[in-house]
Amino acid sequence: MLNYIWISLIALGILAAAAGDVADEAGNTYRNGIPLDVRFEVAKHPSALRSTWEGTIVLSAGEFNMFYGPGAADSAVRQPAVISVDASGRRALVIAVGESSPLRWKEMARHAAEKDRLTASVESMKLSEDETAASLRMVMEPVRFVKLKAVTAAALDCAAAAVSISIGLIGVMALWLGVMKVGEEAGLLKFITRLLEPLTRRLFPDVPRDHPALAAMIMNIAANMLGLSNAATPMGLKAMEELNRLNPRLGTATNAMVTFLAINTGGLVLIPATAIAVRAAAGSANPGIIIGTSIIGSGCATVVGIAASRILQRLPRYRRGMEVDNG
Amino acid sequence: MAEFFRGLINTLAVAAIPLVFVVFLGWGILKKVKVYEVFVEGAKEGFTTAVRIIPYLVAMLVAIGIFRASGALDLLTKFLAPVTALIGMPSETLAMALMRPLSGSGSLGVMTELMKVHGPDSLIGIMASTMYGSSETTFYVLAVYFGAAGIKNTRHAVPVGVIADVAGMLAAVWVVNLLFR
Repeated sequence: MLNYIWISLIALGILAAAAGDVADEAGNTYRNGIPLDVRFEVAKHPSALRSTWEGTIVLSAGEFNMFYGPGAADSAVRQPAVISVDASGRRALVIAVGESSPLRWKEMARHAAEKDRLTASVESMKLSEDETAASLRMVMEPVRFVKLKAVTAAALDCAAAAVSISIGLIGVMALWLGVMKVGEEAGLLKFITRLLEPLTRRLFPDVPRDHPALAAMIMNIAANMLGLSNAATPMGLKAMEELNRLNPRLGTATNAMVTFLAINTGGLVLIPATAIAVRAAAGSANPGIIIGTSIIGSGCATVVGIAASRILQRLPRYRRGMEVDNG
Repeated sequence: MAEFFRGLINTLAVAAIPLVFVVFLGWGILKKVKVYEVFVEGAKEGFTTAVRIIPYLVAMLVAIGIFRASGALDLLTKFLAPVTALIGMPSETLAMALMRPLSGSGSLGVMTELMKVHGPDSLIGIMASTMYGSSETTFYVLAVYFGAAGIKNTRHAVPVGVIADVAGMLAAVWVVNLLFR
């Protein structure tokens, strides 16, 4: 199943990106090759020391959207820019795209040859009489294959992110595995497991009582409920490794593993701290109002997940994976 | 009552980790365990576990990254919006429901954006934050946890996770519509 989901994510992604790029090309979303007339307010003229013009491109939101299409800018455009003149007299304009730049230019700059810098060739430049402003006709550098470039960048970035996430886990993993080992040697884990035996026996009937996996799972679930994800992940991973010791077919998930994951992905949290923090930051009158609704939502997810794992594990197609070859 | 509950849980969350340290290590001392040696012995495994999950996490995060960057999610949202509108789920929150199981940072971004546009106390704001709190990043959890055990054949884990996510999202829509509409 994961095989199909995985390949679907990649295939759908690449297809959607290619289709989006074809649509952009057909509709010329980025107006490649079409001249744009703008007003340029001059701040600094060329001098003995400097051969560039510095100033601001001024355009109303209406004019900008007329050129690029609706939604390209949400407010009037005031974009600092530099015009340089090369030996043959050709003028080139460079825009350093920043926070206040129009949306469409920000989008284009993300995929420009040099990140966050857009260039344009200036076809004509007419200075006003007092030389404080000029009217420019310019053609922006062409922007193509935006979505496919974004997909490529995402693939490379995510591969690197996966490694840094894993490496970042080493510290907390070591800490909690150390603490757990002390608890195991001292018999504390056995004590915790006995305490909650009525519950764990029903949830994980395949796991022998007193098995260290049970204690790790209990602590993982408790940490998750308190929102301590830094402690929950190491204990969850320890639980999976312990469950794997009971696995008759290495490389294939056991029933207990799937039930445990159903509890984890249900994400039962008593206080959804992240959501509350975001609500408070957005100026909510009552950020904590979602505590009750979240408990109901994640409670449903968890109960349904456990029930689904119990029902699906009996289906022939999933049972086949667990039969041990007696060859 | 809600305030008391929140205060209680917050105190528990702050005290839990120091408490676990004290109880575990203290119990070890009482039982004459050589705590330092045993701790180091256990901690050694942290490295191998973390390194073992790398290939699983790379495979999963790259696929999700490609899917997110391509804009396929917007297409899917447009396609499904008329269906989910029937059950009282605004199309804005549909993007949240689709993103939640795939990416933690992505769904955090969607939630923050929805609150900025619609306000945190609007129906959409409350629904989006309830959805965020109602589930975990299922595919990330699957990759990391199965990675630690070296599981490649996940059997029914993916359908179970997806069914649980759908249940959580539907429950969130239902309860928020019931209480805040």
